Parts: sequence; structure tokens; C-alpha cells
Amino acid sequence: MATSEELFAAKKAAKKAARRDKAEEPAILNITSLMDVVSIIVVYLLKSYGTDPVVIAPTSGQKVPMSQADAPLQDGVPIYISKRDITFAEKKIVQLNETGDIDPGALKNHSILPLYDLMAEEADKGKQMAEAKGEEWVGRVILVGDVTLKFSTLVDVMYTAGQAEYTEYVFCVIQQDG
Amino acid sequence: MARRKKKLQEGEVEADLIPVMNVMLLLIPALLLAMEVARFAAISVSPPKYAAAAENKEEKKQEEKPLNLKIFIMEDGYRVSASGQQLGADAGKEADSSRPTIPLAKAGAPLDDYDRYDYAALEAKAQELKNLFRTETVVTISAENSIPMQALTRTMDALRGSKCEMLKAMQSGEAVPEECLFWQPIIDAGAG
Repeated sequence: MATSEELFAAKKAAKKAARRDKAEEPAILNITSLMDVVSIIVVYLLKSYGTDPVVIAPTSGQKVPMSQADAPLQDGVPIYISKRDITFAEKKIVQLNETGDIDPGALKNHSILPLYDLMAEEADKGKQMAEAKGEEWVGRVILVGDVTLKFSTLVDVMYTAGQAEYTEYVFCVIQQDG
Repeated sequence: MARRKKKLQEGEVEADLIPVMNVMLLLIPALLLAMEVARFAAISVSPPKYAAAAENKEEKKQEEKPLNLKIFIMEDGYRVSASGQQLGADAGKEADSSRPTIPLAKAGAPLDDYDRYDYAALEAKAQELKNLFRTETVVTISAENSIPMQALTRTMDALRGSKCEMLKAMQSGEAVPEECLFWQPIIDAGAG
């Protein structure tokens, strides 16, 4: 009489033989469920992206101030004021010195001349586009400052925006809970 | 399995989803990068000439004197001025340059220490004034040239009130809640 080990070995050998004789089946990867998950993620991300009226992308090294304000950002033209420079329409317009002040050569009676030129140009474009659409142009500027931005520099930027016919000012902040 | 085999034998073609998957997997990091990580919010401010106090004109007429609240953020604390008089200044004096209305919470702290100002005391003062002038919503804020933006935004938070929730009112189209104190800031240069 065969022992249990011998029976097990015999059964194993039989199975091995059966496997050897069987033709190999091509493996089919079922990725339908993975596709479902990925599709849901993509739709969610696209929806989140689509609902932002304006995309704020602070420049490198810039720390946007924190605030308890909860009002959402509305459409407008962003001005990025970092520790080193002022960026408008994806162009670095003016350099700030080590103390955070604007280069005196670029200032004239609190007006930042290179920034004014570009903002006035953008305002004209905006007005033309609004006119073509039959809408009223809203000169809203979003000030994306750094936590260390000096009040004097902020006021100069606001003054310049005002001269370029922008009449609504919004400070962009990071929403802080509590 | 038998059914699938049968179908394949019949010549049915299965859709090749691998290229679609590739595109999808590239889209995910691209959209994640474009997405806002932090929640941005807005604080609307006005320059002096666009002061938005017009809506309360009639109600203001009934009051004896307008509040005309002004906050000066100085390096040594806040100077609070109401109805043309600095609060805490000696009698008969409009302003007192030697002494702030609300001194620093952390005296001697550097300017980049944003907790140096006594925001709680400022909010308490704003609440006190709001109780006297219920319809007032406008505050003029000025600061010394060196004051950083973080201190300015926290000052505006304190003046707006820590319990103020504008978003709910904006979404439902209701009036601004009573918890909101002075939520229309005017930024004024000149404390220099």
C-alpha cells in the first residue's frame, strides 16, 4: 500500500504531465476595470481644472500670504510680485533690490513705467475683445504678492494699475482654515 | 473562457486599449500639475478714490458723525482713528505719534515675525466700533513703507472679523452676515 507522500508525488507528476501536454494559452490582460478607474480620475481632474476662472501660478520662491478670507477669485489679470521681481503677462518687468524696493530708474512719481506700458497695452486688448463680444470690460487686477512684499511697493503697483485704467483690485491669498 | 475562445475563433476583434491607457496615464500627471494644490481666495480692496461707501449714504446721514475708521499699521503697533480722532490719544489731540492705540503683542520682534501685532485686540476694537456704527463696513488702511504684505492681510482679516463667512452669503445671494465687521478695505498710501 502506498504512503500518503507517494500518493501526493504521483498526483503531482500526473498534473505535471497533463500541463506539459496542454498547449500554452495566450494570456489576455483584462484592463477594463483599470480603464474605468483612470477614466473617472481624468474626468474629475478635467472638471477641477475647468472650474478655475483664473489659474494662479506663483513664481518660484514666492510665498503667497495666508488669510482667513473665503471669497473666491474672479477673473482678472494677475500681477506677480515676488521678492526679486514683478511679473506681468509672463514677462519679468521690473527687478526689486535686496531691500524689496523697486529699481528707482523704473519709477516716476510712484508709477512703474515698464509695468504701466504693458498694462496699458493689455487693457487696450481687453477692451477690444470685450467690445467684440458686446460685453463691458472689467479692469480687474489680481495682485499675487509675496509675504514679505513691502507696503510701499504694493502701493506703487496699485497706483500704476490705476493709471492703466484698472479699477478693481484683488489680493490673492491662500485660504487658511480657522 | 470557452465563450471568449469561441468569439475569437469567430473573428471578433478586441479593442486595443493600451494606447488609450498611455494617453490617460500621461493626462493624469499633467492635470495634477495644472491643478491648484492650495485653495486661493480673494480680498477685494479699493484705492481711495473708488471708496465704496456710497450704498450706506442715507443711513449715515442719520448718524451724528461718520465713523471714518482708519487703521495705520506702524512698526510699533496700530494707530486706530475714528471720526478724525486717534483712539487712545490725549484729550484735545487728533493724533499721538508717540504712542500706538494698540501696541505690539510681541514687542521687539522683527518685521518678518507676523505674530508681532495684536490682531485679537484689533478685532476686539473693531467689534466695539461696529456695535456703535452698525451700518459701517468701510475701513481705510495705511501702513509704513516697510510693513510686509502678510501683516497687512492679517490686519484685514482681524478687521473683517474671524467669524465672517463671505462665501456662504455670496453663493446664496444673501446679505453679508452680521459677523462681518469692516469688510471693505481701502488701501491708502501716506502713513509712510
